[in-house]
Amino acid sequence: MKALEISRITFSYNKHADKSVAEAREYALRNFSMSVEVGQFHALLGPNGAGKTTLMRLITGQLRGYEGEVIVFGHKNSDKRALSNIGYAPQPVSVYTTLTALENLRVFGVVAGLSDEKIKQRSEEVLKETGLLPYAKKSVSVYSGGMLRRLNLAVALLHSPFLLLLDEPTVGVDPQSRNHIYETLAKMNNEGVTIVLCTHIMEEAQRLCATVTVLDRGSEIFSGYMKEIDNLEKFFLERTGHGLRDD
Amino acid sequence: MIEKRKYQTVFRRFKELFRKEILVLLRDRQTILLLFFMPAALIFFLSLAVGGIYSDVMVGRKVQIVVENQSGLPKANLLEEKIKSSELIRPVERPPGIENDRIFDYGKAQAIVIIPAGFDTGDNPVEIYFDPVIDVGYKIAVRSLITSLTAEVVMGIDNMDAVVANLLIEKTAPNKKFPDPLQQTVPGFAIFAMFFIAIPMSVGFLREKRDGTLQRLFTYPVGTNLIILGKFVPYYFINIVQFVLMLLIGVYIMPAVMDFSLRLGAHPWHMLPITLVVAAAATGFGVLVAALGRTPEQSSTLAATSAILMGAFGGIMVPHFFMPMFMKKLAMLSPMYWAHQAYLDVLLRNADFYIILPKIIVLTLFAAVCLYIAGRKIKWM
Repeated sequence: MKALEISRITFSYNKHADKSVAEAREYALRNFSMSVEVGQFHALLGPNGAGKTTLMRLITGQLRGYEGEVIVFGHKNSDKRALSNIGYAPQPVSVYTTLTALENLRVFGVVAGLSDEKIKQRSEEVLKETGLLPYAKKSVSVYSGGMLRRLNLAVALLHSPFLLLLDEPTVGVDPQSRNHIYETLAKMNNEGVTIVLCTHIMEEAQRLCATVTVLDRGSEIFSGYMKEIDNLEKFFLERTGHGLRDD
Repeated sequence: MIEKRKYQTVFRRFKELFRKEILVLLRDRQTILLLFFMPAALIFFLSLAVGGIYSDVMVGRKVQIVVENQSGLPKANLLEEKIKSSELIRPVERPPGIENDRIFDYGKAQAIVIIPAGFDTGDNPVEIYFDPVIDVGYKIAVRSLITSLTAEVVMGIDNMDAVVANLLIEKTAPNKKFPDPLQQTVPGFAIFAMFFIAIPMSVGFLREKRDGTLQRLFTYPVGTNLIILGKFVPYYFINIVQFVLMLLIGVYIMPAVMDFSLRLGAHPWHMLPITLVVAAAATGFGVLVAALGRTPEQSSTLAATSAILMGAFGGIMVPHFFMPMFMKKLAMLSPMYWAHQAYLDVLLRNADFYIILPKIIVLTLFAAVCLYIAGRKIKWM
């Protein structure tokens, strides 16, 4: 059984997109497939607008109305069992800024279906793992950018998911927080958690991830083992081009 | 057993989403000011300001009048005595050396009554001078009083009211026609504030969308309807709390600072179904604004402008009975008009439920239309 299997996904934000039109930009994802083995640390790379965030939102059930199939640990992602296996840290820091870290974790813990005791126990664990335990009762509004990113990750880890989807989890944070986040992720992966990491930081993707998928303009352009690639950044630019992506 | 556990889980999730929404709201001081202190302050200051204007004016305030008897003969003396002993009037002395117009300029009196020499013989009539800015209601009342008292003296009648009592009987029960200040302001500004819920509601919704917290909730194995209910039901609850608090202020706090207390009418429990539908209308309006706004700033402006306009022509800011006919008809476009009239039915007119029911139906329809349009327009992602 694979942790994640995506088969021939086609999706457009424009509901009236004409399939017969061969204009690729009509589609955020076009006939895209990808699979991730259980326990893998997988990099999902692509230039801006390639469709990475769309793919994450689609896997987590936020976007509907697509063609193809998304299977998470043997269950379609429309199945609640699939969603309960996923921990998702979105690209924007998605926490309630007027609440404390503990209150945030409680909200998401209850919504995830954890018991009160479990929430208490796991909150302490994830806050410890992310270095936020001393600030657990402080309002999130006073957190620094790095702390917010770590809390964003802590929420994703709270319900002990088997598949972790991280959409640029270190964007805009200092090297200290970044290292802390990646150490936490490496530890989680060693414990058997499957991780799909979306990032623009190539060195870290190469250092942490065993497999990689590169997508561009909604389609897969490479999928394979990281060890096959000497210099990921060079490889990435060769495959996706040097032109600016402002569209 | 499994079903029971399922419902318990659903309820627990709803409770947590509800709690979260309330916590977020209560930690926003501006929202607290807007939803609770603004209506309380409006009730407090406007009730004091308008006290006596459109309530029972004859009792609420006395008109200061200079009464000058230039005759000194018996009939003139009797008229002077009758005028000065009237409950409507507080006689004041003309300040020395100040002419009629200057008295009004200085605000020393609102009217001057001169009983001239020759009044007793019927050669000269009584003269009345009014301050040009005196309220029309007071002017008419003073003129009627002086006319009536003059007629009593001239015709030798002891008490005109006793004579007229056999010819004219006032059938309007007291407190049935116009609201007293608290009956106008308490439900009025409670309704006004309830519709202001659209601001925190829409701003909160759009902020959650912008921050991604709303989308994040959808990534959990939880029903969409539960998230929607958890997002909007707390505001419905707050609407009800707002009304109850304003009612308590009217009943228990305002009597301590002014002569009025909020009279609840013969069927105060009729306010319960009214409040439930007014809260639904206000919440529905909030959902509509949330659906139509694209940014928190845009929705905040839209909500505030709409609420103020609905209040202005809905009879909240200017009492409905003061409005000209055209404005009275226009007022019916505002849900606040229907809400206010429903409360006035209870507080003022002691109305039976079937009188209130059409207003409740209009408000329910307003809520349903808002929710229907919002349901078609709203984007959760």
